[in-house]
Amino acid sequence: MRPGSGISEGRAEYKAGKLIKVRARFEDDTIRDIKITGDFFLYPEEKIEDIERILRDRRLDEVEDVLAKVFSDVEYEGISPEALAKVIREAWKRRS
Amino acid sequence: MELRVIYDTKHSAFWNMAFDESLLVHLKEIGPTLRLYGWEPPAVSIGYFQSMEEEVDVDKARQMGVDLVRRITGGGAVYHKYEVTYSIVLPSIGGRILDSYRVIDMGIIKALNSLGLDAQHHGINDVVVNGKKISGNAQTRKYGGLLQHGTLLMDVDVDEMFQILRVSEEKLRDKIVDSVKHRVTSLRHEGVEIEFGELQKVLADGFREALNARMYEEEIPREVYDYAKTLEVEKYATREWNFRR
Repeated sequence: MRPGSGISEGRAEYKAGKLIKVRARFEDDTIRDIKITGDFFLYPEEKIEDIERILRDRRLDEVEDVLAKVFSDVEYEGISPEALAKVIREAWKRRS
Repeated sequence: MELRVIYDTKHSAFWNMAFDESLLVHLKEIGPTLRLYGWEPPAVSIGYFQSMEEEVDVDKARQMGVDLVRRITGGGAVYHKYEVTYSIVLPSIGGRILDSYRVIDMGIIKALNSLGLDAQHHGINDVVVNGKKISGNAQTRKYGGLLQHGTLLMDVDVDEMFQILRVSEEKLRDKIVDSVKHRVTSLRHEGVEIEFGELQKVLADGFREALNARMYEEEIPREVYDYAKTLEVEKYATREWNFRR
């Protein structure tokens, strides 16, 4: 990472029945990398890697729509597209 | 329903998770199967989506001789020591996953009832006695089947558990340990002293009753062990799998 390239890292967590944790790298308001962890349930489980991939290079204002779409064909408990979007925004606010 | 039962012994975390997955993969060959087992050495299993480093003090676990493994099921980190663990593989029973937890958790509730304890399903995946968690459960659906595994605590040492499990906010540590002490219980804490082997039988009976099953014991085909061995070495014992998130 070049100094002054505008890349920052943010973390946040939120309890939506279960705990959702986000670690992300942002360039201005664009997600460059993201890791979503926690004790929630998502079926099929491997979908989490797709979700992380799909979120890469998305601007924050695209996140809600992207998540609504990708969550439409998975079953989940203790996490939701709305809750995840909220944690991503929180991580962005807390970036440094 | 015919339900095969395996009264297993205590094994390493890597073997335990490998064998459970192999049972699910071979569901068509072996039919619905219930396995009852333990952990030796003690271990922490984390949920599919968790980060090992976030959940566990890895150096401390190593010092204490505790194995660390990632499950194929979601849910939280569990310290496995004084417990009987079950796994059950069934053809997918359809409907929402939340509902199928309730069906399978009923096996644990029936077992607890037969030990004289009043138990209820709580939240997504817990069973509670007197309002305190005594059993945690996690389920996945794959390879055309369903795997649920979970624990029934015979005893619990919350201080020991939190030497290994991390609390995300260190300053809250004492508070969290105290609150967990009030939210977690075990058979011993509820006044039930029972041996591992005896508890396996009580649990088997609970599942038999809950699923209205006829239980039988029959040798597991060789290929189920062979595949578990492969999974143990190539997946569950690897850093790549356990530390992937």
